Amino acid sequence: MRAARLARRLGWRALAGVGVMWGAATASFFTLHGTAGDAALSTVSGQGADPTRAVLDQVRRDYGLDHPLWRQYTDYLGRLLHGNLGESYQQRVPVTHAIAGQLGGTVELAAGAVVVALVLAVGVGVLTAKRRRRWIGAASSGGELVLASMPTFVIGLLLLLVFSIGLGWFPVSGQEGLRSLVLPTFTLALPVAAILAQVLRSELEDVLEQPFVLTARARGMRDAGVRFRHALRHALIPLVTMSGAVVGWLLGGAVVTESLFNRQGIGQLMLTATTNKDIPLVVGVIIFTSLVYVVVNLVVDVAYTLVDPRVVTL
Amino acid sequence: MSTLPVYRPRTPVRTLLRRAAVACGAVALIAGCSTSAPGGRSATAGGSGSTRSTATPGQVLNAGGTPVKGGTLKLSMSADPLCLDPHAISADTEQILGHLQFDNLTYLGKDGVPTPWLASAWKISPDGRTYRFTLRQGVTFADGTPFDAHAVVVNFAHMLDPATRSPLAGPYIAPYKDSTVIDDHTVEVHLKTAYSPFLYVLAQGWLGMESPRAITQDTPAQLCAHPVGSGPFELKSYTPNVGAKYVRRPGYDWGPPALGQSGPAELDGVDVSWIGQDPVRYNSLVSGQYQMTGYVPPQNGPALAANSEFVYENVNRIGWPFTFDFNTSRAPLSDVDVRKALVEGVDSKALVTTSQFGQRPPAGSYLDSVTEFYDPSAALPGYDPKAAAALLDKAGWGTRNASGVRTKDGRTLSLTLPVSNATTVSPVYELLQAQLKKLGVQLRIELEPQTQVTTQRYAGDYDLLSGVWHTNTPDVLYIKYASSQIPNSQHLGQNLARLSDPALDTVLEQARQTTDTTKLASLYAQAQKRLVTDVPGLPVYQNTVLWAFSKKLHDVVVDTSHGTPLLTYAWLSR
Repeated sequence: MRAARLARRLGWRALAGVGVMWGAATASFFTLHGTAGDAALSTVSGQGADPTRAVLDQVRRDYGLDHPLWRQYTDYLGRLLHGNLGESYQQRVPVTHAIAGQLGGTVELAAGAVVVALVLAVGVGVLTAKRRRRWIGAASSGGELVLASMPTFVIGLLLLLVFSIGLGWFPVSGQEGLRSLVLPTFTLALPVAAILAQVLRSELEDVLEQPFVLTARARGMRDAGVRFRHALRHALIPLVTMSGAVVGWLLGGAVVTESLFNRQGIGQLMLTATTNKDIPLVVGVIIFTSLVYVVVNLVVDVAYTLVDPRVVTL
Repeated sequence: MSTLPVYRPRTPVRTLLRRAAVACGAVALIAGCSTSAPGGRSATAGGSGSTRSTATPGQVLNAGGTPVKGGTLKLSMSADPLCLDPHAISADTEQILGHLQFDNLTYLGKDGVPTPWLASAWKISPDGRTYRFTLRQGVTFADGTPFDAHAVVVNFAHMLDPATRSPLAGPYIAPYKDSTVIDDHTVEVHLKTAYSPFLYVLAQGWLGMESPRAITQDTPAQLCAHPVGSGPFELKSYTPNVGAKYVRRPGYDWGPPALGQSGPAELDGVDVSWIGQDPVRYNSLVSGQYQMTGYVPPQNGPALAANSEFVYENVNRIGWPFTFDFNTSRAPLSDVDVRKALVEGVDSKALVTTSQFGQRPPAGSYLDSVTEFYDPSAALPGYDPKAAAALLDKAGWGTRNASGVRTKDGRTLSLTLPVSNATTVSPVYELLQAQLKKLGVQLRIELEPQTQVTTQRYAGDYDLLSGVWHTNTPDVLYIKYASSQIPNSQHLGQNLARLSDPALDTVLEQARQTTDTTKLASLYAQAQKRLVTDVPGLPVYQNTVLWAFSKKLHDVVVDTSHGTPLLTYAWLSR
């Protein structure tokens, strides 16, 4: 009975997810085509280019840009149903290949950032919540506020100038070995860690007021044990809720981080595609990221039912 | 305790202080970069004249010493063109990278005149429409394919094939008709019309010779990712947006004879990284992570010039200076008096000093001064705001509205300038706006996506546009100002001033017909003088390239076509 309800719930969620992806595809398709400007022209004529009309016509034919917009749209949806995201104007490869080729870099970076952010957030949150010395919590909270409100770009540039150029510990750019991953990972992780630590601390401070904490202490448990073994478990629930938002921050942050450190990845792909008005690629990346969101939200839903069985009945 | 792992309690105080100093420097740097407003500081930086280089085409820089074989040069560039097929792109990266990987048919001598390279000799028919090239023997591409007459034909066809989408190489050889293979090492090229710049453009980085096997077998995407050339280095790997690695070709022995050297390159290879951020590119060079950068940010020019560990070059280029095009095809700039007033009413020297940190020389005409047949006597009038105001009064714009903008028959003297918001917006636009305001002219800067700017550019929907055009011949004047180059439904041209002057057309057309230098000098002088009376734009500064390298790198040649570093025989001391 419960399994059936869960399945139905997930089914609806998945269907809504498809709707979200269709909406994202449609909105981005029309926005990009709608903003004034000739896509064919922009693919072949940047500064310093002097293309001939024959080249322009060839590009129009290659991508069906000579058809009316409604037909381009229906053709596009048709191809989409077959899993075909089209071909990139600029790179001249299928969009799916372009995305697949860049995915590894972003996954590597994002996974590293999640781990670093969680370790930092849990460590800082647990160690600073409800300390007798009030200034510890306040100082930590202040630091977090600074990091959370600083643009990723500035954090990255500071890390670069201090640790790479000043101290020479890490390379300024590139994608070779673990050393080149350290600074980008921290750039992406620090703001996320700051926000998570804030949430975690305020949650912990509530939990540490609970009677069962007093019981544990009365049993003679040490403070660290109380914090890590008992309080942390309860305080982690809101972090699950935030995982959707975290994925969003990571993807947004990846655009800046990857271009700052000249790394390959979805963010860098998105940035160059947008700059060049590479419509198939931009729409492809948007559909892909909305797919990631939909999947993450489904996973969060399931995670909830495992943590808190009451959720299913809602 | 903070989440930042920088300040560990056990770190000795001195180290802490040093780190703090580095961090402060970092903050100052960021602050310095984000303020786009031109302050007094940059103006003083321009005061020192020593920062301007005197490097001449073909000059060997940091020369002397016995070359050491080996070592890999780490080179930073600014942006990845996302395609390395020189025929398929117009990115200026090819000026450096193209000459690592590809050889050209010709090479410009130090005097700017074409000399042999892969074409060892040529004969031009009297009508200027047939070029018979004798080709160098024993040349091979990195994939083993021999370089021969067939290869030349395949390359020309590839540049002109619409499927290549060539934005530059193809258009530069637009008069090409067809070729006849006479024998393996002789090819006769037929042009539709006489085109004397032909031998010059063949020397440009975008017109390098590619392996005919790669051209015929590979898709455009494959050619972009892995083109094959005959140059001193071959492409080993390319990771878009990250970098490209080139390695030496051991058997290479066909560099331009004008270099006076033969044999393979000294360097084992060149590792290229794309570093988009100016402060990072500058600092990673100074800290020694790279030995050369192809793009020095102008604001860092004075510091590099003063740094004894580096050679800093700021090389003037052949072509058309950074200029504001006046749209002569519509009111109010269809009136030559208004155009003249804009030129006289703007202190363009002040624009250069503040926007280019004193690193670029001002331009006084429509040709960069290093261009062959540049005529210094054809100069625009200097800054004279009174004369400018008088000209505007004479043109009927004598009345002003409440906000001080000149008016005529109820119309305000308001001009549009579309500017792409895709890149960092140069302060030069706002400086121009402020200067024009004093003259009673309103400038509306329209920040838009690049696509929209491009569309407006070809539709003629603007009063002013800005840009540079670098090529290696004075034929740049034809590209920019011949009436046949006005964009229309059949052709996308670069005559963005939309200037239509039959007398100028005749002179520029005649220059394409002759290779006689006396005649060319006279024709191009006439063209430059004519342009000074036509006033199709406001030239601001000469287009120079800024690059720098560590003094550990020796024998870097100033490329004669592009003013960029040529690394064929460069070597690294240990």
